Amino acid sequence: MTGPGRLRPVASAAGMRAAAVLLGAGCLVWAALPAVHRGYATFMLGVAIAGVAAGGLRLALTAVPVPDESYWPSPGVRAWRAFLEMMRQVPWEEGAVIGIAWLEVLHPSRPWHTAVLGAGLIAYLLVVHLAESDARLAALRPQARVLGLGAVVLALGAGAGMLPAAGPGAGSALLRLVAAGALIAAAGLVLPYVARDV
Amino acid sequence: MIPNGPGSPAAGTELELRWRSSRHARRLLTLGLTGLFIAVLARRPEFAGLAAPALLLLAAGRARALERQLPRITVRAKPTTRRVFEGERLAVDVTADDTVEGSVRWRLHPGPEIAPVGATAADGRQARFVVTPERWGRRQIGTLEVTVRDRWRLAEGHATLTLPRLDCYPAPARQQTTVVLRRLPNRLGEHPARTSGEGIEFSGVREYVPGDRQRSINWAASTRRGRLQVNTFAAERSQDVVLLVDATSDVGQPGSSALDLALRGAGAAARAYLEARDRVGVITYQWAGASWLAPALGRRQVYRIIDSMLASDAGYARGASFARLPRAALPPGALVVVFSPLLDQRFVEALRDMRERGFSIIVVDVLNTEPPARRRTEDRLARRLWRMEQDAIRFSLRELGVPVVHWDGEEPLDLPLAAHTRRPMAARR
Repeated sequence: MTGPGRLRPVASAAGMRAAAVLLGAGCLVWAALPAVHRGYATFMLGVAIAGVAAGGLRLALTAVPVPDESYWPSPGVRAWRAFLEMMRQVPWEEGAVIGIAWLEVLHPSRPWHTAVLGAGLIAYLLVVHLAESDARLAALRPQARVLGLGAVVLALGAGAGMLPAAGPGAGSALLRLVAAGALIAAAGLVLPYVARDV
Repeated sequence: MIPNGPGSPAAGTELELRWRSSRHARRLLTLGLTGLFIAVLARRPEFAGLAAPALLLLAAGRARALERQLPRITVRAKPTTRRVFEGERLAVDVTADDTVEGSVRWRLHPGPEIAPVGATAADGRQARFVVTPERWGRRQIGTLEVTVRDRWRLAEGHATLTLPRLDCYPAPARQQTTVVLRRLPNRLGEHPARTSGEGIEFSGVREYVPGDRQRSINWAASTRRGRLQVNTFAAERSQDVVLLVDATSDVGQPGSSALDLALRGAGAAARAYLEARDRVGVITYQWAGASWLAPALGRRQVYRIIDSMLASDAGYARGASFARLPRAALPPGALVVVFSPLLDQRFVEALRDMRERGFSIIVVDVLNTEPPARRRTEDRLARRLWRMEQDAIRFSLRELGVPVVHWDGEEPLDLPLAAHTRRPMAARR
């Protein structure tokens, strides 16, 4: 393989990892602004930042081999091995997702803002998976239709959130929630049969 | 690269796949459950919409994965060779069977002293990994981790394949010259002997006797002396060479330890003597006893000798002393070339015993390390005592007529042996 040919996969992998970090950081900023100071906002902001940053570091260290077992490793080698193990075992991205969603819910209801965040988070998770498995974007082609359907449901959810309440009571909000849930359940029931032909 | 033996191509191995949700699926589930949880708690339907794409993906992927997950996968792993020298490269070609749907990912976990050359992970139904063994020995190439992902990448099937073993031979040192005994057995070979015969090396002129071949008449000498003179030639003989490898002590840095040097030197000597049409055998001396291979001719004997040396490190309990070695292992009149750091007193005693039994012995000293230097007086004294003891061992062997030459493992073996390869070696009793 020639030089540029060998560099192309490396550049592609680095680009995918950078994209994952940027998407995570973008979702974080999108959910955190404007800043609020209630409901453990600072703590969850820390969790989200740590999740995105450590998740990016985990992706960067994917190709770094764990040092071989030896009879009496030096403290440095042991610390490095423990660090790599921790980086690879802890579910950083899950923490980031929970933190970001928590930051979003601290704000007053803004349905379209939440819908954009939902699209960003699903893109973040997909790109993280592509980066960690060194796969190309084409690997997601079988899921394209379901992702499209998900986008529609996401938009419907946002639309349901924007519906004016029938009355001031809690019942109208609950009604909207039940409607959105029913939509998801129906899609979940129908989709396995639709997906057979995908 | 060394040619493979028969039957080396690896047959397909059927591996059981252990299926589980991928990290991707777990992350999607986290997003979905978090969205739904918040939607219920905060009564905000837009969060149910946020959870929807992740849950839809999981539902659709789950439905398909249950139908298509393979319980087993057949993998073929075929190394390009099973025998290499230290530092040589070999490739392992791996192939998954055609029934696999979805993506296949391979990850190589090299075994001890096996270094990967290039990437250790690859995608696709076929892949090639290049490795190089760093030190001699019978070694496992490593293990191969196979990950099969379904088309939705939500479930992963894992299996591990143990790659075949590899015989890594010590990289032989350079040796072109050989030590030749003065008295050679009466067997055709390539070394000029002291007796006359049908060789090609001129040894002298004598008077013609009836029966001599006419083509050997030396006409110039006949003219000078007035009588017919014929040329005589040295007979060409071969010798028995026994390589004695001391595996009782392995001191020094791995890769250039005494045992490393002993095996490399023995490999070089085996090659040099076999190229000179000598019969070469090997005795490996170790704690469990001694293993041996009777002297024989031919190029294959090099590999048999090295195989014998590699097998010795697994322990061998046939005979604990040289007295029990059969005549075939140590033929009378054989040249014994010893590779040893001379640290084991029992081994030195065994050498003395062999010398007293009349064997011609030459010792290649492969000790290239010393006890660590420390500042304490007792340590320095101990170090001096150790050195004096080592000098005494070598001196006592020389007094018995056993030459001891030192080899550092870097230079060709011809250099330390030069004093003994220039002329035939006399076996003094």
